[in-house]
Amino acid sequence: MTATSPSSTLETPRAEQTNRIWNVVRLHLTNTWVIVQTPAIILALIFAVNYAIWAVLDVSISMDSGEAVDGTQWSGAATFIFVYMSVVAAQAITVTFPFALGYSVTRREYYLGTSLLFVLVSAGYAVGMAILAAIEEATGGWGLGGHMFTAIYFGTEGGLARLFVFFSLFLFFFFAGAAIATVYMRWRMYGMIAFWAALGVLLIALVALFTYTDTWPAVGEWFATNGASGVAAWLLLPTAVAAVTGFLVLRRATPRN
Amino acid sequence: MSAATDPAPVVRVTGLTKRFGSFSAVDDVSFSLEPDRIYGLLGRNGAGKTTLMQLLTAQQFPTTGSIEVFGESPMENPAVLRRVCFVKESQKYPDDWRVKHVFASAPWFFDHWDAAFAERLIEEFRLPMKRPIKKVSRGQLSAIGVVVGLASRAPLTFFDEPYLGLDAVARQIFYDRLLEDFAEHPRTIVLSTHLIDEVSNLLEHVLVIDDGRVLIDQDAEDVRSSAVTVVGGRRAVDAFVAGREVLHRDGVGGLASVTVPALTAAERRDAADAGLELAPVSLQQLIVRRTNTTEKEFEKTS
Repeated sequence: MTATSPSSTLETPRAEQTNRIWNVVRLHLTNTWVIVQTPAIILALIFAVNYAIWAVLDVSISMDSGEAVDGTQWSGAATFIFVYMSVVAAQAITVTFPFALGYSVTRREYYLGTSLLFVLVSAGYAVGMAILAAIEEATGGWGLGGHMFTAIYFGTEGGLARLFVFFSLFLFFFFAGAAIATVYMRWRMYGMIAFWAALGVLLIALVALFTYTDTWPAVGEWFATNGASGVAAWLLLPTAVAAVTGFLVLRRATPRN
Repeated sequence: MSAATDPAPVVRVTGLTKRFGSFSAVDDVSFSLEPDRIYGLLGRNGAGKTTLMQLLTAQQFPTTGSIEVFGESPMENPAVLRRVCFVKESQKYPDDWRVKHVFASAPWFFDHWDAAFAERLIEEFRLPMKRPIKKVSRGQLSAIGVVVGLASRAPLTFFDEPYLGLDAVARQIFYDRLLEDFAEHPRTIVLSTHLIDEVSNLLEHVLVIDDGRVLIDQDAEDVRSSAVTVVGGRRAVDAFVAGREVLHRDGVGGLASVTVPALTAAERRDAADAGLELAPVSLQQLIVRRTNTTEKEFEKTS
């Protein structure tokens, strides 16, 4: 992995190398708005809209009737943040990568620093959302029986399990977004067409497989038995594949002219 | 060409070719750059200047050939790259950045960054620090690249079209600061541009590339003195240049102005005796003529 030959007369000390990787993290955070403030504000706005809806529901029908509560459990309001982070990751590769090369950063340093950023931001957001979920639970859905951070997909196995689910989801969306962007950086439009076509074929093949073998119930059962945290643990596998693929693809990528 | 006592070159390129599909952006190029000199990388738009610099800074991968920078391959080599600064003319910055973000982050990546010098340059170029980078003018974008290039004090610094969009005052500032700082902190500087006259006084050595090939690799002084323009009455000029290679000819009425290869001292005296004036030829004129000549020659042979 190291490009410096052992006989190098310009040997860079190890501490210096680590420092350069950390500088890539700092580079991404030079302007924190994209990664910190903007998504937090949008999330707050989404929460405000949801809160208003719960309040309206609370007046028109009693939330305690059960049905309404069940309904908000399927809230997809918090999913935005994951998709958003995918886009942030893709932009990091398409814009910040060519820029970092201008700052004489190696591809390896860039990728390691960017990956470290993804892990740190995933951890930060996972903790933040787990705290909000805990508050949501403790206050009986913000006093209105609403669900946003305790939606059913994030699991019903308690706070720590939910923290893990959030963390795994963030990691997946970051590294998947970044990996797709590396395909673009390396092969441009043709890469994108080939990638999305291949992904489409793969998904259709899976649907066909489960349909013809009549195994949809088994699929459902797999999700049920693994639970949210089990699925999140399995999700680490495609995340790792995306992370490694992204590195291999980016190693030969070039900035646009 | 270089004697054994010469210092090791900063850059050594051998048989370098970069193809994009069937198009050769850089075509079998060999040259080397000595330390602590100012080079001009000159050529027309699309001649291959930017691609060449991207190859030297490991942003692009060569198709064939070898590149050594500070004695090693620059490819994924932090020890080499940390001593290099190259802000592309078409450099894209993160969309959400303001000008100040460039100068906040650059010091992290350049070991010899001089913050006080950067501050002074920012003031002199009147860079709007709070303006979003997407909203700044072409000239200001060039100035940002110039400030990063100068303040980074990288042992090998590339300026890609530094003059693009800069006004006369800003060009003078760049010129003055570059020479001042170069005198105090010698380093290898490569100025890439198609506006040759703008930079010609700065250059110690020129590399002219055309169609991806190196056309001229010579000391700027040698290039300048390689030709001279003879000016005077048409008859006297014609008589004087008879039998010489004529690089260029201009004339108005009874006056003629003819560019010929360098003259000896005796020939210069002859010219003076014949009442002719000798004028220096600008680097730009020379290069334009030489590139034209080869184009014609190329057409003849093909």
